[in-house]
Amino acid sequence: MIERTNPLPAAADAAVISFTLNGEPVRLAVPPARRLIDVLRHDLLLTGTKIGCEIGRCGACMVLVDGRPVNACLTMMYQLEGRRVTTIEGLAGGAEALHAVQRAFLEEGGFQCGYCTPGMIVSAAALLAERPDPTDDEIVEALSGNLCRCTGYGGILRAVRRAVAIGREADGTG
Amino acid sequence: MILTRETAGGRWRIRPDGPGKVTGRLKYLTDLALPGMLHGVVLRSAHPHARIRAIRTERAAALPGVRAVLTHRDVPGLNAFGISRQDQPVFCSDRVRYVGDAVAAVAADTPEIAERALGLIEVDYEPLPVLDTPEKALSPDALKLHPHGNVLHRSEYRRGDVDAAFAECVHVVEETYVTPRQMHTYLETEGGLFVPEPDGRLTVYAPTQHGLLDRLQLARILGVPEEAIRVVSSPIGGSFGGKDELNIQPYGALLARATGRPVKIHHSRRESVRAGLKRHPMRITMKTGIDASGRLLAHRVRIVADTGPYATLGAEVLNFATEHVIGPYRYANLDVEGVSVYTNNGMSGEFRGFGGNQAIFALEGQMDRLAELAGIDPWEFRLINLRRMGDPGPFGQQIAQTDGAYQVWVKLKESPLWRERDSLKRAGEASASAQSGGAARPPWIRTGIGAAMVMHGFGLGYGIPDPAAGRLRLAEDGRIEAIFGYEEFGQGLFAAIEALMIDTFGIGPDDLRIVVGDTDRVPDSGSSTASRTTAMIWQALRRMEQPFRRKLLEAAARLTGRAAGGLTLAPGGVADAESGVLLIRYADLAAKAEETIGAQVHFHFPTTDLERIGAHFLYSYAAVAVKVEVNLLTGRVRVLDQYHAVAAGPVVNPMGYVGQIEGGSGMALGFALLEDAVMENGHYLTGNLDTYLIPTIADSRGTVAVEPVEELPEGDPYGPRGIGEIGSVGLAPAIAEAIHEATGVRVSRLPVDPALLIRRPEDLWKAVDGR
Repeated sequence: MIERTNPLPAAADAAVISFTLNGEPVRLAVPPARRLIDVLRHDLLLTGTKIGCEIGRCGACMVLVDGRPVNACLTMMYQLEGRRVTTIEGLAGGAEALHAVQRAFLEEGGFQCGYCTPGMIVSAAALLAERPDPTDDEIVEALSGNLCRCTGYGGILRAVRRAVAIGREADGTG
Repeated sequence: MILTRETAGGRWRIRPDGPGKVTGRLKYLTDLALPGMLHGVVLRSAHPHARIRAIRTERAAALPGVRAVLTHRDVPGLNAFGISRQDQPVFCSDRVRYVGDAVAAVAADTPEIAERALGLIEVDYEPLPVLDTPEKALSPDALKLHPHGNVLHRSEYRRGDVDAAFAECVHVVEETYVTPRQMHTYLETEGGLFVPEPDGRLTVYAPTQHGLLDRLQLARILGVPEEAIRVVSSPIGGSFGGKDELNIQPYGALLARATGRPVKIHHSRRESVRAGLKRHPMRITMKTGIDASGRLLAHRVRIVADTGPYATLGAEVLNFATEHVIGPYRYANLDVEGVSVYTNNGMSGEFRGFGGNQAIFALEGQMDRLAELAGIDPWEFRLINLRRMGDPGPFGQQIAQTDGAYQVWVKLKESPLWRERDSLKRAGEASASAQSGGAARPPWIRTGIGAAMVMHGFGLGYGIPDPAAGRLRLAEDGRIEAIFGYEEFGQGLFAAIEALMIDTFGIGPDDLRIVVGDTDRVPDSGSSTASRTTAMIWQALRRMEQPFRRKLLEAAARLTGRAAGGLTLAPGGVADAESGVLLIRYADLAAKAEETIGAQVHFHFPTTDLERIGAHFLYSYAAVAVKVEVNLLTGRVRVLDQYHAVAAGPVVNPMGYVGQIEGGSGMALGFALLEDAVMENGHYLTGNLDTYLIPTIADSRGTVAVEPVEELPEGDPYGPRGIGEIGSVGLAPAIAEAIHEATGVRVSRLPVDPALLIRRPEDLWKAVDGR
C-alpha cells in the first residue's frame, strides 16, 4: 500500500481517493481536483511521467487509466476512484523487465533527450495492447498526441514497427 | 551508402543512457526533489517596455508559507548576466524591456503559495512606447534601450565593387527573405534544484550547455568565488541552444542563498515561451547577379536581425549569418552588411544553426531564382560557382581543406530522389503522376522536388575563447573514466564517448565510466555548442591515446612481469597481444598500481589565421533534396521524401548521426512550414503548444535517407566534423524550391503561408465570381 510520501499541507477539501497504481492499491487524501500529474511527480515522487505543456498538447505526461492513454495533466484525482493507473514505471511489470516497446526504442534509437520518451512509449504500448499489428496510419494516429523535438519521429516510427515485430516473434514462439 | 541500423551493423550500439530513458528511471534535473525544499517562482514584467516607479513586496512576504521575496535590492554581486556581454538584469530595477524581464522572485513552501505571493507583489509601471520592430528601434527618435543605443552589433564584409559589377551582369535577382521567430521547444522546460550545502557551498542542478560558464556567471551574481559553486548540468531534456544562456539559475541560486534551504524552480511552458530565447527573426535582402555563363559577379546582402532586449549571443549570431550568406560559392564582388537590433520583443539568441538557417534559406533562394532566369538546371548552376578543394572560406580565409562541397554535390546529383526529379521534368507533371502514383491523383495535388547546398562552420570561430580538454583515469574500482566538461542534452554525448573509447582503446563498455556535467569533476572542455563536442572529444582522445595506453601497459608489465610491448588493452583488462588471454583485470591493475594512471590534455579549437571575429576554420557540408506535395485547395504542403548527403568526416556513432540529421531536418520542417512565435506590440500571441505548432508524427511520415561522405583528404588531422546543426539548415530552402517546382510559386517568407499556394479551380472560379 502506497501512502503519501511527500505530505501536502492539510487541505480542507481533501477527499480520500482509492485506486490502483502500477498494480498496487493506493489510498490518498488529496483535494479531488488535484491533477494526477502533481500527485505523481510531486506527492509520490514518481518522476518517470514528465510534464511539458500542462494543456494536453505534448503528451509527455501520458499514463494509462484502465489501459487507455490519458494526459495526467488533464486528469483530476476524483476521476480515478476505483481505476487502474499505469505509469512508465509500471509498464513492464517488473524492475528489471523491459516492455517490447521499450526494447524496440532502445534498439532503434527512438529517443534522444528522452524527455518525451516515457509518454511516447506509454502511448505506443496502449496501441499495441489494443492492436498488436497496427498499420502505419494507426501508429501515426496513436502517437499524434505525443510531441518529440529531437528525433524527427523517424526513429520512433521504426521503433514501434520493431515492437510490432517483437510481438509477432513472441506470439510465434509462445 | 545510406546509413541505417542495418548498414551500420555492429557499430549501431544501444546508447548507454538509453535504459534509464525508456524506463523513466533516469532523473532529469527538474525531477529532483529534497525533503523540506521550497518552490521558487519569478515575477515577469507586465509590459514589454516600461519604467518601474516602485516595487512593493511586503504583502507577498507576509503571506504564510512564503520564505523569501527578492528584488534587485537583494543581488549581492553583479545584477546582470550574458555569455558574451552582461547587459541582461537579473532583476530589473528601474526599467523593463520585454515581457520576460524578471522583477522579483519568491520562494515558498508550495508552488501554490509561491504563485499566490507573486500576485501580491505590487509594481508601479509607467509604460513606454514599445519598439516592436527593428525599423522602429532604428528610427532616430526612438528611445534608447541601452546606453549605447539600439544597435547591438553591426557586421560587414566587402570585396571588389558590386555596383560596377551589377552593370556587367546579364541576370540580376533581388529578393527579400523573412524568417520566423522559431522556438526551441525542448520538451523539458527550464528548471532545476538549488541546494545550499553544509560547507557553505551552493550546488546548482540545472541544465546548461556549459557548466563552467554558468558557474562563472553565477559567481559574479552571488559575489562569491567560483569554487563556492558546483554546477551539475546533465542530463538535459533538450536544449538546441536554448539553455546555453542562464535562465532560472540566478533566481534559484539567490533564493537558496537567502533561505538557506533547497529551492526548486521549474518553468511552466507559458513562462518558458515568455522568458526564453528564440531564433532571431531576420529580414535578409539580397541582390545577386551573374554573367551569361552563370558565374556570380556580384552579391549584395543586407541583414536585419531582431535580437530583442538583451545581447546574449546576438552579435555572434549575426557574425555567423554574415559568413553564411556568402556560403559555399565563389563571387567576383561582395558587399554584405548586417545589423542586430535591440527591440522590446522576446529574447532572440543561440539556436541550432546559429543564423545559418536564415542566411542559407535566403542564399539558396537566390541560387534557384538565378538558375531559372539563366535557364540553367539549378543543381548544375550551383556547380558553376561552387567552392572546390583549395578554395579559401567565405571571407577569403584559410580553412581546413576538404572537397566536401563537391562530394555532396555529386552524391545528391546521383541520388534516386534527384533522378526522380529529372524524370518528372522530362515526362511532365501529368504523365509522371500517372506513372508514379498508379491510382490517379486528384488534379489539385501537385508534387515537386527541390534541393539546397549547405556549408556550415563549426566551433566558435576566430578570436573567441574556444578551449577543449579531457581527462582519462583508471579509477580505484578499475573503471576507466573518460572525463569531459560537455553536456548530454540528447545529442548522444555518452554514446559518442563510449564509441570513441571502445574504438580507440579496444576496451569493453563495462570497463568505462563517463563523467560529464559536473563542474567539480570536469576540466574546462569548452561549451557543448556549435557542433563542436564530438570533434573535440576525438581530438582529445587522439592526443591522450598514446600516453594513457603506455601507462596502462607499463603498469601491467610491472605487475605481470611481462614486456609491455607484448601486451594489449582488451575488454576486462590487459591481455597478451598474441593470444588475447587476459593477464590482469583493470580492477586489479588499479588496486596494485603504485601511482594513479591517467592522462589529460588541454588545447584550443583549431582556428583560421584571418583576424576576423567568428570566422571559421572547419566546415561541414550537406546537400539536401526533398519531394513535397502541395494541395492547391488548402495550400498545405506535405513533405514526402528527403535525401541528405553530409560530408563531415568519419561517422563516430551511427545511431546518433542518423538521429541528428533526421531530427535536425524535423526542426527545419517546422521552420519552413509551421512555426512562428507570433508577437504583437511586444506581447506573445502564441503562449503554449496549442498555438505554437511543432511537427507531429503525422507531419513527419516521409522517408529520410541520410548518406554520410566519410572520406577526408590524405593526412587530414581534424577527424570527424560537426553534424549537430547542419541537418537543421538545408531542408527549408529545398522545400521552397520544391514548392516552386510543384506550383510555380516562389516563397520568400517562412513559415510558408498556405494562402499563397491556394489555386481556385476553374469551375469554382465561375461559380464564385459568376463569370
